[in-house]
Amino acid sequence: METTLLVALSRQGALRRQMDVVANNLANMNTNGFKAERMLFTDHVVRSGGPAGPAAPIAFVRDIATVRDDAQGRTEPTGNPLDLAIQGDGYFVVEGPNGDLLYSRNGRLQLDGEGRLVTSEGAAVLTAADAPVFLGETDTDVVVARDGTISSQNGDLGRLRIVAFDASAALLPAGGALFSTDAQPVDVTAPVVEQGMLERSNVEPILEMEKMIRVQRAYASVRDLINREDDRLKQMLQVYAA
Amino acid sequence: MRALSIAATGMLAQQRNVEVVSNNLANMNTTGYLRRRPEFHDLLYQNLRRPGSTASDSGGVVPSGVQLGLGVKLAAVYRIHTQGNVAATENTFDLAIQGKGFFQVERPDGEAAYTRDGTFQLNADGEIVTHDGLVVLPGITVPADAIDVSINQSGEVLVKQQGQVALQNVGQIQLATFANEAGLEAIGSNLLLETPASGAANVGNPQDPGFGSLLQGFLETANVNAVEEITNLISAQRAYEMNSKVIQTADEMMSSLSNR
Repeated sequence: METTLLVALSRQGALRRQMDVVANNLANMNTNGFKAERMLFTDHVVRSGGPAGPAAPIAFVRDIATVRDDAQGRTEPTGNPLDLAIQGDGYFVVEGPNGDLLYSRNGRLQLDGEGRLVTSEGAAVLTAADAPVFLGETDTDVVVARDGTISSQNGDLGRLRIVAFDASAALLPAGGALFSTDAQPVDVTAPVVEQGMLERSNVEPILEMEKMIRVQRAYASVRDLINREDDRLKQMLQVYAA
Repeated sequence: MRALSIAATGMLAQQRNVEVVSNNLANMNTTGYLRRRPEFHDLLYQNLRRPGSTASDSGGVVPSGVQLGLGVKLAAVYRIHTQGNVAATENTFDLAIQGKGFFQVERPDGEAAYTRDGTFQLNADGEIVTHDGLVVLPGITVPADAIDVSINQSGEVLVKQQGQVALQNVGQIQLATFANEAGLEAIGSNLLLETPASGAANVGNPQDPGFGSLLQGFLETANVNAVEEITNLISAQRAYEMNSKVIQTADEMMSSLSNR
């Protein structure tokens, strides 16, 4: 009897979690290398009245997955020689705190106290030879070629490793615009790296605002449905009780 | 409702963004000031349905699961060490560094601090000091009878004295460079301190390999770009508004529950 209320409740629960996803996208609209997420819904169908009952399916709402939008964010010139942006497919390979590999499109790089090229969290960026890049005291004019080769006036310092994945869904966000995965990376044969540019977040604020309004409206209409169903039950009880 | 706290982290981050921008704009005319940029990171993710978990007995694997992000944080505010404009002042003791390096000055506690602000003067003893009276290392005294002082590109301080034809070399201004300039700690008054993150100071003469050269009679202006800062200010304000709208919406969704 209360199936209507339960179906409505499943919708409301899903909408609230979708709202959380929208809020996280908007909160990260200025996070470099951030990829927007959206919620994927499906219906969870059960037969009403048990196996022998009439074949009127009831569809509950389930949010089965968050899907990442892997589109490229807008790249912005920063004028900082250690800001790198990848055009098209690819991720920088970063050495995580436990020696595990992490992947990121955030090219806001800097040097640490030993002259090693690191992310803003201090994790070393790896080259094709799986080694960090070291810049010496006299390496003042750092040039990064389009294929990721880093050089200075003293010569070649190594080529940054840029990798891609067959299924980008296998990449899990690990915070800090970093991704972790068990999948095997594939080296990109012809990467395009832009020096002095940064890839910003690919969140489209207007679309997110629109989505937020839709979530709110849908939530309100489900609420109205619950109210009406509640009134109907109340009326029914009054009629039968009388 | 996570949306409330997520939007709160977003508003907080944008507030910090505005603070950084306003500090850059406030220091637009500060000699040797290096502009700052905030760097944001997404927070950890909450797994409602862990990706890679088994979906059924037949061994199907959930491809992407439900991961809810929990907002944003300010990861770093970093300095951008690009060269500022060089403005002519025609003042004898105004020096600008073209290229890498910092002037070294001695703080009252005897420790060295580093700056790109080259507005120097002489103190009562004839020593070259900053406008705060800190001695510029390695400590150079200009004789009282000097008629003219010239400081060349490689930092040699040459004085012309009454009755002498040749210029007298009275000292050498030295510069310091660091492996990681962005790791220096700012302490105000245009001064920076060495930290474990910056690496040890590497001292050398101007024009040595890896060091910039000096320009007498010029000052390096702040490397703040007003147009860029105003653009950042506008985008930060809009982002702030949108996050506050999220809070409002989440609040309305919640109130529809409690006002039943």
